[in-house]
Amino acid sequence: MTVKRKVENITAERMVINWLGLGLFALLGVAAVVPLFLIIGDVYIKGIDAINRLGGLWVFLTELPPTPFDERGGIGPMLVGTLYMTALGALLGIAVGFPLGVYIGEMRREKFANVARAGVNVLVEFPTIVVGLFVYAVMSLAKENLNQYLLGPLSKVLSPLGGWITWFIGPLDGFNAYAGAAALSIIMIPYVALITASAYASIEQPLREAAYAIGGREFNALFVVLRKAVSRAVVTAALLGTAKIAGETAPLLFTAFGNTYYAPFTGPTAAASLWIWYAAQTPYDVQIASAYGAAAVLLTIILTIFIIARIRG
Amino acid sequence: MLGFLLVVLLIPYLIAAYGLLFVKLRWGLRLFGAFIVATIGLLTAMFLVEAYPIIARDGVAVFLQTRWDPVRESYGVLQALTGTVLTSAVAMALAMPMALGVAVTINEILPARWRGVFGSLVDLTATMPTVIYGLWGLFVLGPTLQSLINTLARDTMTSPYTLFTAGVLLAIMITPYAAAVIREGYALVPKPVEEAIYAVGATRFEAVLIKLRYVRNYILGGFFLALGRAMGETVAVAMVVGGNFVRFTTNVFESGITVSSLIALQFPNAASYQYMVPALFAAALLLTLFGLAINAVAIYIIQRGQI
Amino acid sequence: MFTWSKTFYQVTGSKIQVNYQSIGSGAGAAQFLEKKLDFGASDVPMPRDKYEQIAGRFVQFPVVIGSIVMVYNIPELTYSKTGKYLNLTSEVISLIYMGEIKQWCDERIKALNPGLADKLPCKDIVAAHRSDGSGTTAAFTLYLSRAYQPWNQTVGWSYTVDWPADKKAKGTGAKGNEGVAQAVLQTPYSIGYIEFAYWAKNKDKYDQVGGVAFVRNDNDGKYYFPTTENVAMGAAAGLERYTRKYGTKPAPEADWNPVSIEFSNPPQGYPIMSFVYVFLWKDYAAEGYGDAATKAALLKEFFKWVLTDGQKQENIVEGYISLPSEVAKIGLEALNLVKP
Repeated sequence: MTVKRKVENITAERMVINWLGLGLFALLGVAAVVPLFLIIGDVYIKGIDAINRLGGLWVFLTELPPTPFDERGGIGPMLVGTLYMTALGALLGIAVGFPLGVYIGEMRREKFANVARAGVNVLVEFPTIVVGLFVYAVMSLAKENLNQYLLGPLSKVLSPLGGWITWFIGPLDGFNAYAGAAALSIIMIPYVALITASAYASIEQPLREAAYAIGGREFNALFVVLRKAVSRAVVTAALLGTAKIAGETAPLLFTAFGNTYYAPFTGPTAAASLWIWYAAQTPYDVQIASAYGAAAVLLTIILTIFIIARIRG
Repeated sequence: MLGFLLVVLLIPYLIAAYGLLFVKLRWGLRLFGAFIVATIGLLTAMFLVEAYPIIARDGVAVFLQTRWDPVRESYGVLQALTGTVLTSAVAMALAMPMALGVAVTINEILPARWRGVFGSLVDLTATMPTVIYGLWGLFVLGPTLQSLINTLARDTMTSPYTLFTAGVLLAIMITPYAAAVIREGYALVPKPVEEAIYAVGATRFEAVLIKLRYVRNYILGGFFLALGRAMGETVAVAMVVGGNFVRFTTNVFESGITVSSLIALQFPNAASYQYMVPALFAAALLLTLFGLAINAVAIYIIQRGQI
Repeated sequence: MFTWSKTFYQVTGSKIQVNYQSIGSGAGAAQFLEKKLDFGASDVPMPRDKYEQIAGRFVQFPVVIGSIVMVYNIPELTYSKTGKYLNLTSEVISLIYMGEIKQWCDERIKALNPGLADKLPCKDIVAAHRSDGSGTTAAFTLYLSRAYQPWNQTVGWSYTVDWPADKKAKGTGAKGNEGVAQAVLQTPYSIGYIEFAYWAKNKDKYDQVGGVAFVRNDNDGKYYFPTTENVAMGAAAGLERYTRKYGTKPAPEADWNPVSIEFSNPPQGYPIMSFVYVFLWKDYAAEGYGDAATKAALLKEFFKWVLTDGQKQENIVEGYISLPSEVAKIGLEALNLVKP
C-alpha cells in the first residue's frame, strides 16, 4: 500500500515539473524566434515593396543604385561583388576551417590542439573591423611587390585569352575584391572550425574505434567512414559560415571599399552589405528603400542555398 | 617585402598541409593548427606594433583610464573593455537559455514536418546583415526597451541607446549561432541512448535534461561561439550602444561603449590624429588578452572537471 | 557626391565612372594622403599639420555647402501645440553641451524665449551628440569655438570631442546623423545637432515632439531659421569677411583652415554651416599613381562639371546649397593647377 502511494506521488510531482520544464523551454524558444521572425518579416515587407517601387525584380537585380533623385535603381554591382567575394571567402574558409576543426575536435588530447582551440576561440571574438584592418595592412605592404613580380607578368601571360581576364586577374589596386575575400575567409574560419570540432568531439569512443578498425588508414577512418556521422554538422558549419560572411560589413570597409558601378575585381568592389550600410543611413527615402530591397534579396539567396543543402543532405 | 612574402608563401603552405593530410594525417592536421596560431600571432603583433606609440607615451594608463579627448590627444579605453564585458554578460545570460529553448523546441516539441522549415528560418537570422539588426535596434528595440524599463523603474534609462540595449540586441543576434550548434548535437543523440533513457522511466522533461548533459560538448562549443560573436560584434552594437567614452560606469542602463564598436566608430577619422590609431589598437590588444584569459580559465575548469 | 557621380556617368554616356563611398571626412583625408584614393572629400579642410607636410603638392576647394540644425524634443512645447519654435544662441547651446545648463527651465533659456518662458519644464536636458568621428561634429564644434570663447578654451573642436555634458549632465551618443535624429525623436527633453537634410525629411515628426531652433547670429543679433536662403546668405557674408580681412579670395593651394574660421559664425545669415572640400594632387604622375594622365584628365573633367552644371539646383540633393559663383571659380582655378 505505502509503496504504491509513494510511486504515485513521485509521478505526480514529476509530471508537474515535466510540464513546467517543457513549457519553459518552449517559452524560451518562442522568445528567441519572435524577434527574429519580426525582423525577417519587416525586411521582406519593406524589401518587396521597395523592389516593386524601384522598377521590379529584374531591374533591381541588374541596374545601378539609385541617387536621391532617381525613381528606379538596383543593386546589380553589389550582387555581383557579394557573390564573388562570398564564394571565394567561403572556399578558403571551408578549406582551412574544416581540417582545423578536425584537428581540434579529434586530437584534443594534444597540448598543441588545445592551444589551437584557444586560438580559434580568440579569433572568433576579434572585432570584425580589425580583421579588415589586418588585411589592409598586409595589402599595403604587399601590393607593390605583388604587382611587380607576380600579377604584372601573369596578366601579360594571360592576355591572349581576352580583355575580360583583366576583370579577374591583374595588378591590384589598394582596394580590391581579393582583399575583401581574404578578410571574409579569416572571419569564417573559426566558425567552421568550432562547429566541426564539436561534431568530431562528440563521436563516442566505440564508434571511433570501429571506424579505425574498418578504415585502415587514419585518413580513411576519419573522413570516409565517419562521414555520415559528421556530415550534417559539417554542412551546417559551411552553410552558417558562408551565410554569415555574406552579411558582413565592417571587414569590407577598408579592403573592398565599395563601388557603385560594375568594375573589375582588381579594384574597389561593391557589396550588398556595404550598400545597405551606406544607404540605410542616408535621409533619402529611395536609397533607404533600396537598402531594404538589397537585404531581402540577400536573405532570399541564402535561404535558397539553405533549403537546397538541407534537401540534398 | 614582408607582406609580399606572406601572401606568396600562403598558397604553398596550404597545399603542403593538404598534401600531408593524405600522407601523414596527424602532421597535416597539425599544420592547420599552426596556421591559426600563426594568424593570431600576426594579428597580435600588428596590434603591438600599432599600439606602441601610445603605450610608450602613457604606459598602462591607457588601459586604466576612461577618457576620450582627441583635441588634447588623451585617450583611455577602460570603459570600452568594461562595456564589452557588461554587454557580453547580458547577451550570454539571455542567449544561452534561449538557444537551449530553441534546440529543445525544434527537436522535442515541434512536429517532424515543421522542424526543417523552422530550423532553416532560425539559421537564416544568423545571416541577416548586421546593419539591419542595428537599424531595428535603432528604431524599434531601443525605444521599446526604454519605455519598458522606465515603466518598471522611473527614469532608469535616460536614453534609448545604452549597454542594456546593446546586450539585448546581441542576445537576439547570437542565439541562432549557439542554437545551431546545440541543435546539431541534440539531433545526433543515438537512438539506443534515447531508448535507454525512456526505459528507466524518465519523463519527457527529464529526458531532455539528460540529453542536454549528453551533448554538453556541443553546448560548450555553442557557448564559446556565441561569446566570441558577442565580443566581436561591431556594427549593430555601434548603432545602439550610446557612445559614452568619458564617464566610467558599470550601470548597464546607461550609455556606454564596447571595444569593437569603439574601433568601428572612431577608426575612420582616426588617421587625422597622432595617437588615436594607437589607442584603438591598444583597445584591441586589451580585448585579445582578455579573450585569452577567459580561454585559459575555461580550459582550466574543464580539465579540473575531467580529472 | 554620389548623385553627381551618377548624373555625370549618364551625361557622359556611361563612359566615366567616379566611385565615391562616404567613409567619413577624416578617412577621406587620410586615405587620400596614403594615395589609396584618387581624390578625397571632407567636411573640414586639410588639417594644418598634414597641410604643412604636403603644401604645394595638392589643391583643395569647396564643392557644396552644408548646414546643421538644432532639433529638440520637449513634450510641453511642441510646435504643433504652440506654433512657435525655440530661440537659441551659441552661448546657450555651448552651456548645454558643457553641462552647465542642465534643465530646460534654466533662466538663460527663459530669457531668450519670453513667449514660452512659463511653459519650459524643469526637466533634465539630454544632450545628444555623435558617437562616431564626424565632420558634422567638427563643423558644429568649430562654430561653438568661434562663437563662444569658453567653449574654445575647455572643449575645442574636432571630429570627436570630450563632451562635458556626458560627465556633468545627461549626455548621450548616437551613431550617424540618423542615430542622433532618432535619439532626439525618441527621447523626451533631448536636444541634438543634425544635418539639414535629416531634419527636412522628418520635419513633421519633429514638429510633433518639439521642433527645430532659430539660432541667433551673434554678429548681427538676428535669429535665423534654417532655410536655403539664410544659409546662402551666411556663406556669402563669410566670403566677404574673408576677402575684406585678407584682401584676396582664398587660393586653392592655401591652407583653408583660416577660411573655415572666417566662414564659421558669419556676419549675417544662418550661422551654422560648413563647406564640403575636395582634395586633388597637382601632379598625379609624380605622386606615384598608375595611369596618372588618364586619371588626372578624368578628375578634371568630372570636377569641372561639378563646379558648373553640378551647381544647378536640379543636381543638388536636398539639404545642400550650391556655392556662390565666386567660390566655384576658386575650384575652377584649382583644376587648372592639376597636371596635365
